Amino acid sequence: MPATPAWLAAVEALLNRGIQASMQATALARRLDATALRVDIEGLTSIRASVTGGRLALAAADPSRESAAHERVNASIKGSPFALLRLAAGNVQPETQAARTAVRGDAEIANSYRELIAAARPDLEEELSRIVGDLPARRLSQFALKTAAWARQARRTAGENIAEYLQEESRDLVSRPELDEFLQGVDAARETVDRVEARLTRLEQRLKG
Amino acid sequence: MSNSDRTDFGFEEVPWAEKAKRVRSVFASVAGKYDVMNDLMSFGVHRLWKHFTLSLTGLRPGQTALDVAGGTGDLALGMLRQVGKEGRVVLSDINSSMLEVGRDRLLDLGFVGNVECLVADAERLPFDDNSFDCLTIAFGLRNVTDKAAALRSMHRVLKPGGQLLVLEFSTPVAPGLKPLYDAYSFNVLPMLGRWIADDAASYRYLAESIRMHPNQETLLEMVRTAGFGETRYHNLSGGIVALHRGYKI
Repeated sequence: MPATPAWLAAVEALLNRGIQASMQATALARRLDATALRVDIEGLTSIRASVTGGRLALAAADPSRESAAHERVNASIKGSPFALLRLAAGNVQPETQAARTAVRGDAEIANSYRELIAAARPDLEEELSRIVGDLPARRLSQFALKTAAWARQARRTAGENIAEYLQEESRDLVSRPELDEFLQGVDAARETVDRVEARLTRLEQRLKG
Repeated sequence: MSNSDRTDFGFEEVPWAEKAKRVRSVFASVAGKYDVMNDLMSFGVHRLWKHFTLSLTGLRPGQTALDVAGGTGDLALGMLRQVGKEGRVVLSDINSSMLEVGRDRLLDLGFVGNVECLVADAERLPFDDNSFDCLTIAFGLRNVTDKAAALRSMHRVLKPGGQLLVLEFSTPVAPGLKPLYDAYSFNVLPMLGRWIADDAASYRYLAESIRMHPNQETLLEMVRTAGFGETRYHNLSGGIVALHRGYKI
């Protein structure tokens, strides 16, 4: 069995604090007692998640296919890091998600683990306050939120500016109204062609008949 | 005398019954300077190893914990903060000199009433079955004569669902670390022991006993054999130390 990295233990401790703090997560953990889920993160690592006595345990799993086949787990899930993150965050588009992640075994248990992780998601400000104290944690949290909002705004503005330059200055792209007008023209031409085709078909049938 | 009657004491082989006596005399000799030496030898990193261990106890206010071979009480102190006034922590050690240092330290910090200190042999823990929510042993298992018996005893006193945490020196796994670590522990540690604790032999024993201790995978198998489930280990500082964990299921 490979050594479990310390970061995984830190994640486990965070999630267990989240489980203790949330009634929904506590109930889910109780329901999942004595079950196990294997998570294969493509290109990175394999993790075995299990619940014992209402506590979540995360351990490194042997990534080999033989180990996956012999390991006693109720369900296993495999996917790219990005797809698994989206799944854990509950950002699920069923038709596209199915193609990116593969679930084997008891899908109900796999889904309950997803719900458990979502319900036990730690309050980062609370966790930070354990290290630096309440007031600095509040300040740092607000700073992080403002920075994230600024980054989102900056990305949106940069996107709009680049689009405007390409459409209005360099004329490499057409503007939205021009594009709509062009598409309407294409639609009108297609409808005309369809009508002509239908008339020709009718004429052919009349000539034959 | 057959080989099975003998056990290791560092690189020496001693009669099974003599190891506990000799370990006791080593720790009686170093008890007074134990904490200072720990800081010096590990450059203070032992505090991070213990902090990591405490972060994984999962203890809640009102629960009970046992620190086996707890010595000067580093882990017991952290667990007392976790279980609060309604909880209970027992600090046990086979060596009364070490335990005295730990007990005085806890008293000086104002922990009274919810902490008990007692001299106890890890192989025969004097507690009822299913008594504790969490059990820790930090840098102690290596000194126990019959490790398998100690692990079975720990399993017995843990409550179902309770967690065992074994923090112990192990085998370095980081590339290139082993020769440096060997040079440090066989040359520098005894020298530090002579200068600070006036006892080079005890710190030579420390280096030797680390080499004789089972490696990560062997100890993991021993923990499993004792009856623990969901077992795993974390390498710390490149494997110089490993934290083994298991639940009583």
